[in-house]
Amino acid sequence: MLVEDVLAGTVRSGTSVLFAAEGELISERAGVINLGTEGCMLTGALAAFAVTNATHSALLGVVAAVGAGALLASVHAFVVITCRANQLASGLAVSFLGLGLTSWLGAHYVSRSIHPLNRADIPALSDIPFVGPVLFQHDVLTYVGLALGPLIWLFLYRTRTGLILRATGENGAVAFAYGHSPTLVRYLAVMVGGALAAVGGAQLVLAYTLNWVENVTVGRGFVAVALVIFAGWEPLKATLGAFVFGGALALQLQLQARGVSISPFLLNMAPYVLTLAILVVASRGRAQRPPEEIRAVFGTTGA
Amino acid sequence: MSSVRTGLPVPLRPTAKRWTRHPALARALGWGVFVVVAITILFPTFDVSLQDCLIRATPFVFCGLAVAVPARAGLVNIGGEGQFAFAMVVVTAAVLLVGDTLGAAVLIPLLVVAGLFGGMLWSGIAALLRVTVKLNEALCTLLLNFVAPLVLAYFVFGPWRDRSSFNLPVSKVFPDAARLPTYGVTQLHLGIVFAIAAAIAVWVVLDLTRWGFRARVVGGNPEAARRAGLPVNRIAFAALVAGGALAGLGGMVEVTGVEGVLRPNIGVGFGYIGFLASWLVGHRPLDLLGSSFLLGSISVAGDSLQINAGLPSTSVYVLMAVVLLLVLSIRGVATRGTS
Repeated sequence: MLVEDVLAGTVRSGTSVLFAAEGELISERAGVINLGTEGCMLTGALAAFAVTNATHSALLGVVAAVGAGALLASVHAFVVITCRANQLASGLAVSFLGLGLTSWLGAHYVSRSIHPLNRADIPALSDIPFVGPVLFQHDVLTYVGLALGPLIWLFLYRTRTGLILRATGENGAVAFAYGHSPTLVRYLAVMVGGALAAVGGAQLVLAYTLNWVENVTVGRGFVAVALVIFAGWEPLKATLGAFVFGGALALQLQLQARGVSISPFLLNMAPYVLTLAILVVASRGRAQRPPEEIRAVFGTTGA
Repeated sequence: MSSVRTGLPVPLRPTAKRWTRHPALARALGWGVFVVVAITILFPTFDVSLQDCLIRATPFVFCGLAVAVPARAGLVNIGGEGQFAFAMVVVTAAVLLVGDTLGAAVLIPLLVVAGLFGGMLWSGIAALLRVTVKLNEALCTLLLNFVAPLVLAYFVFGPWRDRSSFNLPVSKVFPDAARLPTYGVTQLHLGIVFAIAAAIAVWVVLDLTRWGFRARVVGGNPEAARRAGLPVNRIAFAALVAGGALAGLGGMVEVTGVEGVLRPNIGVGFGYIGFLASWLVGHRPLDLLGSSFLLGSISVAGDSLQINAGLPSTSVYVLMAVVLLLVLSIRGVATRGTS
């Protein structure tokens, strides 16, 4: 059934972008744009794949991904927070560092197989017709991903730490005046963001592609950055955005699998074009105000 | 203290130093020393030929200029990659359409226009979205980089695939009239001259003309520019479109000067390396010639590493990323007090 397959595929293929987008959102809410998200996803993917390949434990793979993603993100954090370099240029460089390192170190893993992250059907719920296959027949990380948006919403709007994070993103000087170190908050936010992106990368290889290829993410990390803008820096809308992207991917794959006679290259464009389209729609709607500290970088006041 | 003529603070005025004392001259001297050292010491050591480096550096110059022009107006163009690829599609379309009927004297200028136009078109999408719905141009150009190669692939795998080429995904081989002339028996093509001329032209426009000055004002402080009555949107649009045109010219030069056929994976990564080249030199067009040559040499050396040591081609990105991160960090620390 096409609709059911597409929706189940939406959740499965949207999850990796979802993790990356929520991570990017935390980072941007603290005032740092991280275009290195793409690189963090790639390092997370390779770390997860390599460790799972060696230990046969997907859990250890995810743990390794978290470490690798946070480590790469800390490079970006150092360059933009401590050295105050341009965030977009540094982020792009970090992405390329991730791309280069993973294709170099990952060359040995290209044709290897892993014991993938098992599908864990949720008892009872997974038997519900239609809803079951769409929502409750996935891997563990996908369930975590589904809960991630609401959890980050709670964190940002209902905890003191979340308030400090948002304050830092709006005005670091004010946060400083209230006795919090903007530097520390931003470092942590960027590293947590990188770690989440890496978990997204881990989900991608452990539960979706099931193998490692060079540049396995093909721009998902950049799409995640775009989705954060579309979401107006709101975690729940970021979840929605990730699934819109996942939906385009799933629909395209289903159409190809069903032998629809459209060029696969045109179909492959769909997710990126769609991401751009929803960005346009989002920016035409109600004015969405970015966190004050990243406004200058995005320069949307400029034109 | 502010200037009487422009009403802007004095440091924003174009510096009216005597050209002999221009800091660009000192930098040019530095690059000259580097080139001499590279040719006499580094190239023999790493078994790299000057010709290969010049040919490889050429697209980097164009892609770097594509970053430098918008950067002057405060815009970040990451889309050199896509603009380069899309221009190659437009150029190939022109070749397939009229390549067999026209002589080189007419065809080459036509293809130059096609390349410029293709790049403009692709960056025009981002420029239009930037000035109408205020969509961030960095993201837009970045996302379009994933679309343009698919457009290219669609044509070479589909309508343009040459059946006589063992069914490989390549277009028909370009006729000789559509190839850039080369110098003597070497492979050095006219595009190298184009690249140098383009860098000089961009330097003249950005540093010596009124438009270049206005672009710098817009880039420095858009609000001040608006209040000074400058057409901020129009300048931003023009800068981004001009950047795309330069990347497009790079695509034209690569496909007609080096390849002579359209195939997937021409110039993959060139846009990003151009981005790096431009950031390395603070978006100064003349210095870009030097940084492009440097990166071109690294890239060629990387090829021989790849062949000799079995490293994947993308591992050269590691080196480039590290260099850029270092430069960004050092420059960031150095300018900390001033900004």
